[in-house]
Amino acid sequence: MEHSRPTRNRREFLTDAFNGFGALAFSSMLQAANPLAPKAPHEPAKAKAVILLFMAGGPSHIETFDPKPLLNELSGQKRPAHFGEAKYQFVSKDARLMGTKRTFKKYGQSGIDVSDLFPHQAKIVDDLAIIRSVQADMVVHSAAQYQLMTGRIIPGFPSMGSWAVYGLGSESDSLPAYCVLPDPRGALEAGQPMYGNGFLPAIYQPTVLRPGKTPVLNLNLPSGVDLEDRRKTLKLIRELNEANQGFSDPEYAARIQSYDTAFKMQTEAPKVFDISTESQETLDLYGVGKATTDDMARRCLLARKLVEKGVRFVCVVHGGGPGDQQWDAHADIEENHPRMAAQSDQPVAALIQDLKRRGMLDSTLVVWGGEFGRSPEAEGGKGRDHHNLGFTMWMAGGGIKGGTIIGATDDIGLRAVEEPHHLRDIHTTILHQMGLNQHQLSFLHQGRRERLTELEGQVIKKALA
Amino acid sequence: MKLSLTLAVCAIVALAADYTAGERRHWAFQKRSVPAIPAVEPAAANPIDAFIRARLAKEGLQLAAPADKVRLIRRVTFDLTGLPPTPQEVDAFVNDKAPNAYEKLVDRLLASPRYGERWAQHWLDLVRFAETDGFEYDTHRPDAWRYRDYVIKSFNEDKPYTQFLTEQLAGDEIDPANHELAVASGFNRLGALRKNAGNQEVASSRNEVLTEMTNIVGSAMLGVTVGCARCHDHKFDPIRQKDYYRMQAHFAAVQEREVPLTSEAERSAWKAQKDAVDAEVKELKKQMKGLQGEDLSRMQAKVKSVEAKAPAPLPALFSVRNDYGENFKPVHVLHRGEYTKPGEEVHPRSLGVLLPDGAPELGPEVKNPRTELAKWITTDDNPLTARVAVNRIWLHHFGRGLVATPNDFGRMGQRPSHPELLDYLANQFVEGGWKWKPLHRMILLSDTYRQSSLLEVAAAKEKDPDNKLLWRYPKRRLEAEEIRDAMLSATGRLNLKTGGPGVMIPVQQELIQLMYKPEQWVVAADQKEHDRRSVYLIAKRNLRLPFMEVFDSSDMLISCPRREASTHAPQALELLNGRIANEMADALAARLTEFSAKDHAKQVDFAWRWVAGRAPTAEERKLSMEFLASQPLREYALAMFNLNAFLYVE
Repeated sequence: MEHSRPTRNRREFLTDAFNGFGALAFSSMLQAANPLAPKAPHEPAKAKAVILLFMAGGPSHIETFDPKPLLNELSGQKRPAHFGEAKYQFVSKDARLMGTKRTFKKYGQSGIDVSDLFPHQAKIVDDLAIIRSVQADMVVHSAAQYQLMTGRIIPGFPSMGSWAVYGLGSESDSLPAYCVLPDPRGALEAGQPMYGNGFLPAIYQPTVLRPGKTPVLNLNLPSGVDLEDRRKTLKLIRELNEANQGFSDPEYAARIQSYDTAFKMQTEAPKVFDISTESQETLDLYGVGKATTDDMARRCLLARKLVEKGVRFVCVVHGGGPGDQQWDAHADIEENHPRMAAQSDQPVAALIQDLKRRGMLDSTLVVWGGEFGRSPEAEGGKGRDHHNLGFTMWMAGGGIKGGTIIGATDDIGLRAVEEPHHLRDIHTTILHQMGLNQHQLSFLHQGRRERLTELEGQVIKKALA
Repeated sequence: MKLSLTLAVCAIVALAADYTAGERRHWAFQKRSVPAIPAVEPAAANPIDAFIRARLAKEGLQLAAPADKVRLIRRVTFDLTGLPPTPQEVDAFVNDKAPNAYEKLVDRLLASPRYGERWAQHWLDLVRFAETDGFEYDTHRPDAWRYRDYVIKSFNEDKPYTQFLTEQLAGDEIDPANHELAVASGFNRLGALRKNAGNQEVASSRNEVLTEMTNIVGSAMLGVTVGCARCHDHKFDPIRQKDYYRMQAHFAAVQEREVPLTSEAERSAWKAQKDAVDAEVKELKKQMKGLQGEDLSRMQAKVKSVEAKAPAPLPALFSVRNDYGENFKPVHVLHRGEYTKPGEEVHPRSLGVLLPDGAPELGPEVKNPRTELAKWITTDDNPLTARVAVNRIWLHHFGRGLVATPNDFGRMGQRPSHPELLDYLANQFVEGGWKWKPLHRMILLSDTYRQSSLLEVAAAKEKDPDNKLLWRYPKRRLEAEEIRDAMLSATGRLNLKTGGPGVMIPVQQELIQLMYKPEQWVVAADQKEHDRRSVYLIAKRNLRLPFMEVFDSSDMLISCPRREASTHAPQALELLNGRIANEMADALAARLTEFSAKDHAKQVDFAWRWVAGRAPTAEERKLSMEFLASQPLREYALAMFNLNAFLYVE
């Protein structure tokens, strides 16, 4: 009977234990066992990382990137029949169309229309591929948010971020590969399951970074424990684990190694979360320290820092808690949207500018949008209801052709009539830019090869450089 | 005459054969065989060993030597009860020299009420049990816990599996007045439920509800992914789309039912109180319109305080009923699964591929269609039900089923590693009256189960790296609930109270703020409640405890037949810095001090016996003593909970 023995003895391991976390031989032994090791994409990738700027609650396309002069002319009238039917969550059949008070101007070399809500994004318009013809299936928040994040209208399926890490692994051994930066004002309707790993193993789960100095749960030592003590505790854990019979077993070894990674996260990740080391010029660019923008600015800046350190997928959320703290402008679009735009416009534009000047934009795909758009009809006189038949999202960086307009809604912004793109086309394009093939990126779950796109999506070719 | 008639019928039906012979040929749709027990040398007393050893021998492999008694009692105690043995129990077993010492141990554990708590969790995972709706509001289902308690009780009573399934599918049809059956039939509404404000999408919501009801029967009871046939004929398995909707038709009349447990007078008093609060809230909301800034937030606070006056929901049973009144809508085949595209109307019929061609649907006069479905599922010769069930038992004892895809016995699933053993066990199960405990007993008393996990055999690793053939016992990581419960046990704080509403324990404020309705999280006032077994903690879809989540607990949204056992850094962070681990470390340190104020050797011994279930080795003792000479006891206690010796069952 042969007993396999590790080639290196325990003492040698101990020497390595807390000196630079070298243990190279050890980690190569584990390579096969580490499911987060970087994996080659299916096809050559344009983007190494994705930042999703999730405008929660559903920003209006009509007030931002999709000017509709006819809607202003028809304001106060009922929707002419030839535009067809739409289903809303609240607006009833006798609702009246409502024009916008926003004004649009053409910007950049591309001469793309942007409304006066977004003076900063207007400056980066030549970097954006604006898709004015996005369609989704649902007009209630929870189901629509699930669809945006996971491709399904019910909870329980893996999110884009989990799929990306499942497909490509992690480039960082001290940071979580998939981070969600929620808005501290509160949760969204779809709750935590929308960001989750679904049926994928828990290693692909998101790490939710909270506001403040210690964004990651459990990254800080419990109060009353000092680092020196904890170092010794970790050393004891390792020594006892290695004294255990059969410690060379790959699974035991993997667990021993997970403590190295944990300790590395604990000591190195806080440096990444600390934005105070950034230059004043950078802080100003994002709007850190300015009351209106500070909050979103910190999240956008952190997103850049995370991607810089090898994080694969970052979801930055703008909007949270009660509807009026999201883009969910049921009551008064003119009260809600200028406020939400003022909080996010500068940080969002700064993120693109900052990535660009650091040479990171080419390898980082940035996607902006909400779970749906808003209705051409008025709700209660001044608001707009949820709307899924045609709305706007944009993409930038990561192999995207800037200064591009894709698709169009009809003359009142009701329905995508030119080059309509379902959310699954957005998903397909995101995967494609990461070098992932929507069919190959699958997971056998209860008899089905599950995929992010479920049905076949189209790559939005017009958006590609 | 009879023969010719049959032939004639066959001839007619053949024209419209539902399924081809080829489609029906898949192994799982075949009748169970009666396999001969293989002859092995030396003879095996337990048939399981004969099957396993015969297969190993084909590869030139053999079972490992028996595990030592200390490891064996820890293994079997966790497997059956989800808890570690106490040091006293370990000693008693080790010192019991009777030849049937192990048999007595297994019988004691099977009789323990802890058994039901552990095995209920497997079932609850499977049927994606939760105490909230999920989706936007994640509204609490204040009576759903009764279903969890029903499952625990059923396992503890060793209720025949056929009865267990029937009660869940059709308890309300069998006896609408019986409370236990009413609770059991709550099974049909365990799925997540979308509710929203404003315009209701009645038809689409109903479609989602019916889909949930139908698919879970396929996954949990039949091990067939019927849900794949919702939008089109199943791509891999012989399930026509039409047959999917016939399956769904059994549930066409199902509506929610709350069975009140209070008197009429209590209910009207409650309603009056609730109406008053609602009216007040409505009025305040009217006044709120147009308010901004501070005025608005003041008003919002006022609304909240008024809402808080609403009376707590009255106790009721979370159940279902059939409603053939005006709400009743017959089921149609839906083109591409879209509710807006109804096709042909269909009536209940069970899985067509297992029926003769042309088998009739149930007529509209049948008012207990779920009872009929249950009858079909639980007949002795249903080829799927017993196989799927015994495979689950096997899975939870060996970490992997004889069929490695426990919810999918179809063509996309894996073929059984030991088909004859699977049939043998299924036959035993059926002949023994569909009872779980005798089957556990047969498995647990086998040499296969009792072999050591520690063996390293190069030849075996090469031939069977995944240990599918069981040349050693597959060690396993404890599941999330086991880790927490074992910590509580080691600290002496475990509260073994049984039953009742799901308990909310303190969690980080930040997590509560990530909820859409933070006020839903109401921490149990009695601190002892915080130390209940994990199966009694609230199963809330939109707030899983990070501790549970990180150790792969079920997400309560999709049927979970088998927990993953992942290994990653956030688990280490949870056990090093997390709230639960540190609270437990403090408690263990306090217990160690209580046990022996200063004697490190005694403390070390005590800690190992409670946490790892065994005494430390000389080296482990030495390392521990060195550590304690300079470091705090609570750090030592914390280290214990981070050891592989704790987290794995060997």
